[in-house]
Amino acid sequence: MSYRFATEEQMNRLVDYKGAREFHLNKDRSKKDKRMSLNEAIAAYVEDGDILAETGFSYVRSPIQSYFEILRQKKKNMVGIGSPMSNCSYLMTFGAVYALHLSYIGVEMRGNDKNFARMIKTNRAELVSLWSHGSMALGFKAAQLGAPFIASKQVLGSDMLKQNPYIKVIDSPVGADNSPVALIPALFPDVCIIHVQKADRYGNAVIEGPAINDIALSAACRKVIITAEKIVPEMTLRENSTGTIPFWYVDAVVELPYGALPGCCPGHYYWSREWWEWLVRIATPTEENCQDFFDNWVFSTKDQFEFIEKLGGIRFINEARRQMEAAQLIIDDSLVDFNYQEVIPKWD
Amino acid sequence: MTAVAPANPLEMLAYNIALEIVDGQIVYVGTGLPMVGGMLAKKTHAKNITMVYESGGQDPLEGDMPWSVGCPFTFRKSPMSMEMSISFGQCAIGYVDIAFQGGAQIDMYGNVNTSVIGSYENLKSILPGSGGGNDIGSLTQNSVLVGLQTPDRFPAKVDFITTPGYLEGGDTREKAGLLGGPTAVITQVGVYDFDPISKKMRIKGLNPGMTVEIAQACTGFELIVPDEIHYIEAPSDEVLNILRNVVDPRGVFTKMPGM
Repeated sequence: MSYRFATEEQMNRLVDYKGAREFHLNKDRSKKDKRMSLNEAIAAYVEDGDILAETGFSYVRSPIQSYFEILRQKKKNMVGIGSPMSNCSYLMTFGAVYALHLSYIGVEMRGNDKNFARMIKTNRAELVSLWSHGSMALGFKAAQLGAPFIASKQVLGSDMLKQNPYIKVIDSPVGADNSPVALIPALFPDVCIIHVQKADRYGNAVIEGPAINDIALSAACRKVIITAEKIVPEMTLRENSTGTIPFWYVDAVVELPYGALPGCCPGHYYWSREWWEWLVRIATPTEENCQDFFDNWVFSTKDQFEFIEKLGGIRFINEARRQMEAAQLIIDDSLVDFNYQEVIPKWD
Repeated sequence: MTAVAPANPLEMLAYNIALEIVDGQIVYVGTGLPMVGGMLAKKTHAKNITMVYESGGQDPLEGDMPWSVGCPFTFRKSPMSMEMSISFGQCAIGYVDIAFQGGAQIDMYGNVNTSVIGSYENLKSILPGSGGGNDIGSLTQNSVLVGLQTPDRFPAKVDFITTPGYLEGGDTREKAGLLGGPTAVITQVGVYDFDPISKKMRIKGLNPGMTVEIAQACTGFELIVPDEIHYIEAPSDEVLNILRNVVDPRGVFTKMPGM
């Protein structure tokens, strides 16, 4: 099978069990202070041509400020994977990602992603394999378990199998039920960035709220960057023993408060619905609008703090914190207004 | 007392979704109308249901309408959350009773397309992809399909099978190794099920004011028409009040566009 952009090597690397093992064997194990700036971490560990795995859930605890830094550093020719992987919408638009192992790129009830449609239709990005969320999640989980593959009951009978070179269907050779199963290989992306609420300086990390695929991805990926709302003393993690990512998986630790904005971070802040409305309804419909939008929000800001200033500064942050506290029933939610000013573009 | 306006088509969809839910069930919810239907069921005839979400939230407390399946309201004070692979695993091992799924196309065997109109080689329109749809539809005991019914959206055969229904009918789903299967299809026209042998879509009940002719005109294949047509009763004023004032007071999902 040949692809327009993705190389055979990139395609094979995703399922290279021994290669990933070899890579992990050669990683520096020392328990050292791995803190660095976001700029340094992205420059050092996200390389052109990498298989980049999305973490979080689209706009929930996703490392969106790190994706913006990837755009600023003009990374290119990467292969996107993740379930879901909606941030690939702009990563492909600005050339960082050119091929996709697709599970889902969209905005739920807000409809189809117009960047995605445009990039595929004009052959500037390509789909190299098709997945469901659960089957891809099992591929990451298999990697974490050290299982070369997992046999599953999803994706059977689906047309996705015709456009997925990795999954094989066989009649189950074990157990009482010998009906068909889908063999999903362990998936080993090159790099992921995981945004967490707490980490220590060595990389031990705590995820609060749904972990999605991030625990599995921290084990599966060759390189792992942790960005954290807060760096805490190691003893804090030892006392609570709630860590889910061990320091030896982690290459870089970035203290990055507000690193999930304009998405939300459980325990910290709610998302900016207005920002997403603008993105979905005004920016993505045309390339010009999208360029303007990212010029304004990403290419003319240098970090999350400048981004926050554009969102409304301390007033925005205060409201986003109150909304998250209300959503999590830490404060009385009847005191918080979840209405928001809808953006209605005049050409909509 | 002021008169209660009759249900609009979206409210009728939500109501029919709610009616599919039986008290005590574990319900796998997506965003949008299925969530509205699930919450309506919980506030009316099915107070003891438990909702679980693909992003991992399990049994959240009720709150504002979630904006996304990952929204903090899907794990509001959840006693626990699950990793995605494990959350879907619950459907396979028999801990989920019913799940809902929408699609751009639904065909006569309940196959669902959320991938592409045309083909990837000859694109008319590209859709988001499976997401959790394939997993839910492949694994859950009872999956309920929700869609807007037009001849284009209800073709004889979907352009692409993202989520298998009964594939080519008969026992083809079972032979493919899949679990469970679609048990109902809910549209603005009414509710459909599947013939037990052929697995072709069959009229189960029509919404107030709908006819077999309308149902057929909205469909790109020949529907199975039972000897006696069941007409679904309009929701009571009490149910409508709960839907409008408690479940979706801001009309996020049940207000008709432009109204």
